[in-house]
Amino acid sequence: MRQLETALIGAGLIARMHLEAWLAAGACVRIHSLDGRAEELVQEFDGFGVKAVGSLDEALDGVDAVDICSPTDTHRDIALTAIARGVAVVCEKPLAADVAEAEEIVGAAEKAGVPVYPAHDIRFAPAFARLHELVAEGHLGAGTVARFTVAGYHPRPWTGHATAESGGILTDQMLHGVDIAYWLFGDVVRVHAHYQGEITAPAPQGTAAVGTVVLTHAGGALSQVVSRWTPTPQPPIRVTFHVSGTGGTIVHDSEWPQEIQVSGGPAGTFGYYGESPFTSEIREFAQALRGGPQPRLVAHDALAAVRITQAAARSAWTGRAVELPVKGAAA
Amino acid sequence: MKVAVLSFAEERAATYAGLLHAMPDVDLLLADPDGSPDDPGRGRSTARRLGATFAEGWDELFGLRPDAVVVVGEPGACRPLVERAARAGVPVLCEYPPTDGETDAERDADVLARVCEEAGVRLSVVSPVCFGPAFAAVRGELAKGGVTGRLTTIHGAYNGPRPAGERAARSGALGTNAPQLLDMVDAVLGGVHAEQVYAQTNGVGAEPGVASAALVTVRYADGTVVSLDCSWGAADAGPSAAGPVMTFIGEKASVEFTACPRLLGGFDAVTSRERPQTRGTDPYAVMLGEFVAGVSRGSGAGPDGAAALRTLRVIRAARESARTGRPVELAVPYGVAS
Repeated sequence: MRQLETALIGAGLIARMHLEAWLAAGACVRIHSLDGRAEELVQEFDGFGVKAVGSLDEALDGVDAVDICSPTDTHRDIALTAIARGVAVVCEKPLAADVAEAEEIVGAAEKAGVPVYPAHDIRFAPAFARLHELVAEGHLGAGTVARFTVAGYHPRPWTGHATAESGGILTDQMLHGVDIAYWLFGDVVRVHAHYQGEITAPAPQGTAAVGTVVLTHAGGALSQVVSRWTPTPQPPIRVTFHVSGTGGTIVHDSEWPQEIQVSGGPAGTFGYYGESPFTSEIREFAQALRGGPQPRLVAHDALAAVRITQAAARSAWTGRAVELPVKGAAA
Repeated sequence: MKVAVLSFAEERAATYAGLLHAMPDVDLLLADPDGSPDDPGRGRSTARRLGATFAEGWDELFGLRPDAVVVVGEPGACRPLVERAARAGVPVLCEYPPTDGETDAERDADVLARVCEEAGVRLSVVSPVCFGPAFAAVRGELAKGGVTGRLTTIHGAYNGPRPAGERAARSGALGTNAPQLLDMVDAVLGGVHAEQVYAQTNGVGAEPGVASAALVTVRYADGTVVSLDCSWGAADAGPSAAGPVMTFIGEKASVEFTACPRLLGGFDAVTSRERPQTRGTDPYAVMLGEFVAGVSRGSGAGPDGAAALRTLRVIRAARESARTGRPVELAVPYGVAS
């Protein structure tokens, strides 16, 4: 197996999870971070083929891929620099803060023939991965209506500065739900959205918000996504879906008992959640970088997710449904 | 790492070969000099399909110096292969000897356990759930006892369907489904010996003389009471048909373990039936992965020969109890402290 080399940009929470996944996939990793935390991460993973480098230039020199886990507003410049040097791009969601930047990245990548793999990790969660397999194998028949809910607690205060117009939850957590809807039912032509609760950042830990989105797919299927930041940490995350088609339904609830359940006492340290979706995701990207099959996530998936979530933000801000042109549909 | 699959007498060997071949660090070696009665070319064609090295004979195979071997095959043929691997100092994964009464399963297991122990070679026995990370998490936490307190009672079920193979089917539910449940109990209790075994079976819906349903209750030397349902079930009859389920009751709290929990539900309009879906991870792939990882760590994985022997003793006692209708007291084997 060929030794992969990856440049990881950023040293925060997501970067750490990606780092562990790259190491599990057999890559060696150099880390570059503008906030000076790369050294901390390197010390922690001392002896695992991880080093810190002082510049983006040094990070990109001779690597197979860059994995961009820095704040969203830095994605464009890093991605374009990498693409110009022929370095494959893995990018934490969203690919860019607006549609124009996302189009610029994807356009440059296509022109240069450089792959872009967006890290929409939810596609690797077992329930969603199996759902897609069943739908792709035809067990759902023609898709009619899908409902998705995600409720989670944001474990830290919201940082950065975001206005209400920027969309809040509709452009961050909501991306997971719309990405799955797009993966199952394809292109989206119309988006309607509401948001409630806190939209702007910064905001304290425990800030609550709800996004409600209805998507109309080009093929006629409809999707509803309700996405929540909950004010309390219990339960830490709840995910459900109910997907209908002419062949029946497929449903899931993360509260169904899984491998281990404790009753009559606190769960303590019995936690077992199986393989992390990050591990499965980075392994699939690594296989593609080594010449394996195309992964389930490529550049146009990143672009679609940014287009749909930005349309949702615009719909919530304007109170109108937003029409999305589908490339090739009018031709 | 070079991993060999020895003998293709059973169809499962091709499955094992495919799963091992899919692992990135494994070089697969195959040999099948005796051939299979139903498909003499199975070993060679599997090797060709996977691009694996095929050895013409056992000497050639062991000459390639495998780092680990998986022995699959007719019960009589397995023992010499395990013995040979042990003499060559190679860790072995092998299946349970059948408990259908045609061969002395306990004697076979006893011999293999001793041969491997004398050679200093780890023998691992096929029992997929015992190799899995979720079961390891349960076992680790129960050993600490912080959440559950002292363990008093275990109840569990594995309602896997009637097997396709005729010989396996003749061994009944006690032969096919009890070993995995008893291995899990043995792992959690740390190898403590069974003192009393009581079993009831019936053959409702099976051919004459075959026990398709079986309940087994065991009292262990440490006082733990264990009651297990090993009956064959319909293939889509829920989590206990897909894999073992087990509840561990402690003085403070209880823990439920489900090896193959429901991942998806829903309705299939074509068949007008519910469609439960379990997690996609193949327990046999997990088992082989852990076996290979255990070999490279030098630590071993899954039940060893001694554990298999304890399980086989309980199954023999269960058969006797089912026949007589009375509980069977088991003597602690000579030289073993419970």
